[in-house]
Amino acid sequence: MARYIAGRLLVTIPVVVGVTLAVFSMLYLIPGDPVKMMLSEFETNPAQIARMRAQLRLNEPFVQQYGQFVWNAARGNLGESIRDRRPVATEIRELFPSTVQLALSALIFSIALGVPLGLLAAIRQNSWADVGAMMAARIGVSMPSFWLGLLLIFVFSLQLGLLPATGGGGIDHLLMPAFALGAGAAAITAALTRSSMLEVLRMDYMTTARAKGLAGAAVILRHGLANALIPIVTIFGLQAGQLLAGAVIIETVFGRPGIGQLLVAAILNKDFPLVQGVVLFVAIVYVLINLAVDVAYAAIDPRIRYG
Amino acid sequence: MKYARPRLTVLVLAGLALVSLAGLGVGAPAAGGAAPATLTVGLDQEPPTLDPAASPSAVTYQIITDVAENLLYQDLGGKLLPWLASSYKVSPDGKSFTFTLRQDAKFTDGAPVDAAAVKWNFDRIVNPNFKAGGALASLSGYAGSTVVDPYTVQVNFKEPYAPFLTYVAGGTLSLISPKTTPTQGDAVNQKPVGSGRFIVSEYVPKDHVTLVRNAGYTRRPPYSSHQGPAGVDRIVWKFIPEAGTRVTTVESGETQMISFLSTPAAELTRLQANRALRVEKNPYPGAPRIWLLNVRKAPTNDLKVRQAILYGINRAAVADSVYRGLGTVACAPLTQHTLATPALCAKYKYDPKKAAQLLDEDGWKMGPNNVRMKNGQPLTIEINSINYGSGNLPEVELIQGQLLQLGVDAKIKSQARPPWYEDNFHCATNGPVMFLRSTDWDGLFALFGSQNVGGNFNWSCYANPAADKLIAEGRAVFDPAKRRSVYTQLETMLMDDAVAVPLVDELSVWVIRNTVHDTTYNFSTYPVLGDVTIK
Repeated sequence: MARYIAGRLLVTIPVVVGVTLAVFSMLYLIPGDPVKMMLSEFETNPAQIARMRAQLRLNEPFVQQYGQFVWNAARGNLGESIRDRRPVATEIRELFPSTVQLALSALIFSIALGVPLGLLAAIRQNSWADVGAMMAARIGVSMPSFWLGLLLIFVFSLQLGLLPATGGGGIDHLLMPAFALGAGAAAITAALTRSSMLEVLRMDYMTTARAKGLAGAAVILRHGLANALIPIVTIFGLQAGQLLAGAVIIETVFGRPGIGQLLVAAILNKDFPLVQGVVLFVAIVYVLINLAVDVAYAAIDPRIRYG
Repeated sequence: MKYARPRLTVLVLAGLALVSLAGLGVGAPAAGGAAPATLTVGLDQEPPTLDPAASPSAVTYQIITDVAENLLYQDLGGKLLPWLASSYKVSPDGKSFTFTLRQDAKFTDGAPVDAAAVKWNFDRIVNPNFKAGGALASLSGYAGSTVVDPYTVQVNFKEPYAPFLTYVAGGTLSLISPKTTPTQGDAVNQKPVGSGRFIVSEYVPKDHVTLVRNAGYTRRPPYSSHQGPAGVDRIVWKFIPEAGTRVTTVESGETQMISFLSTPAAELTRLQANRALRVEKNPYPGAPRIWLLNVRKAPTNDLKVRQAILYGINRAAVADSVYRGLGTVACAPLTQHTLATPALCAKYKYDPKKAAQLLDEDGWKMGPNNVRMKNGQPLTIEINSINYGSGNLPEVELIQGQLLQLGVDAKIKSQARPPWYEDNFHCATNGPVMFLRSTDWDGLFALFGSQNVGGNFNWSCYANPAADKLIAEGRAVFDPAKRRSVYTQLETMLMDDAVAVPLVDELSVWVIRNTVHDTTYNFSTYPVLGDVTIK
């Protein structure tokens, strides 16, 4: 197991290097003088521009600058936000828990809704329950999250007055954003569970289990779902990444604190150190989630050999 | 027992969901006691900092108007009133301003608001090691302050500087404590200590700022009807960037007041019909929504082309169809509220025939595809249009259509802020559509002073010694009538040179629930909420 994890970790190294290179190159890919643009809102003198240039090491060769960027990032130093005047790492540290709270809630919601729905559709294949569940799944997957978010605000905040539309805080602030963010993932999970379960239901070991006299529910859950879960777990990894990305939109729609909103504001305010820091951080989180899923995948499916 | 595990799985899943939703909650309503009177205000964005000296953003000054006070106050009508300074006098050469301070004003950390505090604040702004925001421009030519006595301070400039009297009443020069600020490091960006009716008590990034009432406040601010502390216990400024969500919060009562910024004008009619709400509109000071015409790049380097554009654009249509009650037709590079210039409103009345005639005289004859040609070249203009992520500004698209009717092929260069700025600095397009808020007529210096070509904000790339002379004169003249005359001459010169197309004098709009009373606004149109009560 340890060798397998070490091997997977090694594979992530080129990915992380690629990410740092892409993130660092942002400063060079935009047209014009980055320092002048970053400071365009401020009254500056040549000394301040020179200081900023030195701070960003723009006078040094590209490779040296990149090396320093990676070295600093590895030590948790992602620079200082130009607009907020605070360390980027601090801003991420303050806001990431809120984004994790949202993404995790959406993920759990997608599992709690998607798996039973897919299961129901599979065991009642071609019934009204199947058609209804899959129709709900298709609606869920084709509905943009921002639109669903606005719809939820209209119904539950404006018309019914049940839930607050904005802000972070307790569970009442979390329900609508988590639902809006998780609806698409729930739909995908439902569809995948159905198809995976249908495949498993045709397997010989299912017939054997029934022949042994096990009750229907036990066969479905212990022998069927346990095996059908393998491809579903893989998709959770992808979905976790997508949920982090989706948080960018949902946090903005609901005025909810998080790194999604932080990133949007940083882009709009041409705060390059902040954009670089957040993108790098999210990319590495994404890589780590996929690594965790790969490991979990191997742990769940004994047919996959470590090493 | 056979079913125990599946049941357990379901229970665990359900429990996990509940724990994640409830257990991860980071806040809960306060328990017990009478609810404090709280005013919740929805803003379109988070400020970069609350330090008045450091901020480049208007959002900062909306929040801290009732936290950090100024030497003078400028009311909505533009009148200057004493605030922390009880009186002032200007030296005959116009370079020195002597302020006599009240002796009963204290910062909320107990430090006195005295002459040394004023000097410390202004010296901090010009310190080369400090990254100042808009405050640095407000102190243009600052030559230091002198503490005459504990409550008298003289502020000196290298040149006569008449605009200082309005700038000293603006948010950029509001005062914070010299006692706490040096000790709090970066925390000044989130919790500056002022002398006003409110104290910043909590800052939650990307969510809200909470101000609590300064119970020890004993004075009567110049805007106020009463002496002593504020009317509400708390003000919560919530950051709600999504306009639709922000509007919903004021309709549902989650907020009691919202900024209408970046909200589609069509929403206003619906909100005005809502009996639980009222809409308060005030004209912004400074430059209107304006298209600065680049006088260096062809074909707008040709006066007749620029004049034809001014005659050929139906500004009333822009105000009526795009702004729909959020603005009025602009006439000059300063709004009519800032400097009324009726003569300029009569100039360049919409006249497409005259526009066509000017272009004909200039050799631009109608060619194929309804585009004018001269020497084999089409009459093509590139408008630099800022794109905040939701497409082109609608006024730019309307202008494009109107110019096409004139035979001008206007291309919209739609781009995000960084390249938009870069093109403006390099005079690379035929000019941007933009706005500039300024509380003094001296705002024309930033827009048309030759030294600001290549910087902020002379994006007409206009360098005219005669205009520079008038700009300098406007800074040296203190008599209001004479100043008015100087800036009217300057605006007339600018419009004769057709350096810009003033489009719409915009309105600052706030939507407020009718339970909120006694809102007022300063000259910058920022809400002043010290008198507000909620009933």
